[in-house]
Amino acid sequence: VKTRMKEYRARAGLTQEKLAEIVGVRRETIIFLEKGKYNPSLKLAYSIARALDASIEGIFIFDDEQI
Amino acid sequence: VKMRWILIAYAAISILGLMIMLSRENVYVVIALIIGFLLLGHRELWSLIRYRRLPVIDERVKNNLTSAMRLTGSFFFIASIVLILLLRFNVFRDTPTGLIISGQLVVLGIVYLVGYHYYDRVQPNLGERATHWLKICLITAGLSLSTIALAITLHNLVSYLFGVEEAFFFILGLLMAPAVLAVSLLGSLTIFIRGLFGPTGQGEIQ
Repeated sequence: VKTRMKEYRARAGLTQEKLAEIVGVRRETIIFLEKGKYNPSLKLAYSIARALDASIEGIFIFDDEQI
Repeated sequence: VKMRWILIAYAAISILGLMIMLSRENVYVVIALIIGFLLLGHRELWSLIRYRRLPVIDERVKNNLTSAMRLTGSFFFIASIVLILLLRFNVFRDTPTGLIISGQLVVLGIVYLVGYHYYDRVQPNLGERATHWLKICLITAGLSLSTIALAITLHNLVSYLFGVEEAFFFILGLLMAPAVLAVSLLGSLTIFIRGLFGPTGQGEIQ
């Protein structure tokens, strides 16, 4: 999954630590998500989208070939 | 919350096991249990000492813990069968049982630790190609280890049956297979370390 999380997080003025605290995950998980090296569950994707005030498809770009 | 209860239950069982072994004066197992406990719970202990709270167990950590535990469970099953067979054929003649059990416990802790770090850091950091090579190296290591055991057995069998000093299985078991084992282990270790210290999760600037 490609992601625009870093961009949205910067726009929301949140640090990785703060975002991790809001969505209830470790900071490491945010790092993995931002680098596109972890595919979140729908629940986590929804929590992140809500915390960043954006839509899931706006943050996470699904590659049709990988689905 | 469920995972926390599992960790608390694990700690309670370990302490109980520790007390039973202490009462039976089985020092080896007590030492192994402590080492195993430290290996398995080092992150939780560190977080408790430093932040006075248990670390967050999110879905990624939970998945990694489950995968590592599954790997350790499979290893425990195979290792137990091998151990039972070795004990059956009286391979460990004068070795105390406590030492054998403690050895298995420590190895289990190490397998869990390696497994957890593999799922946590190595796998996400390695590309498809490196992961493929890691698998090939590990399979080769496993096969060469089996070849050593098989070749030594066959060498002894042929020598016993025909009364001649058999050369092929001797060279295969004591020279070729160990060389392949060493190369494949070195390869696995190199790829593993490369993944462990890869770019992800290493103090990213926020």
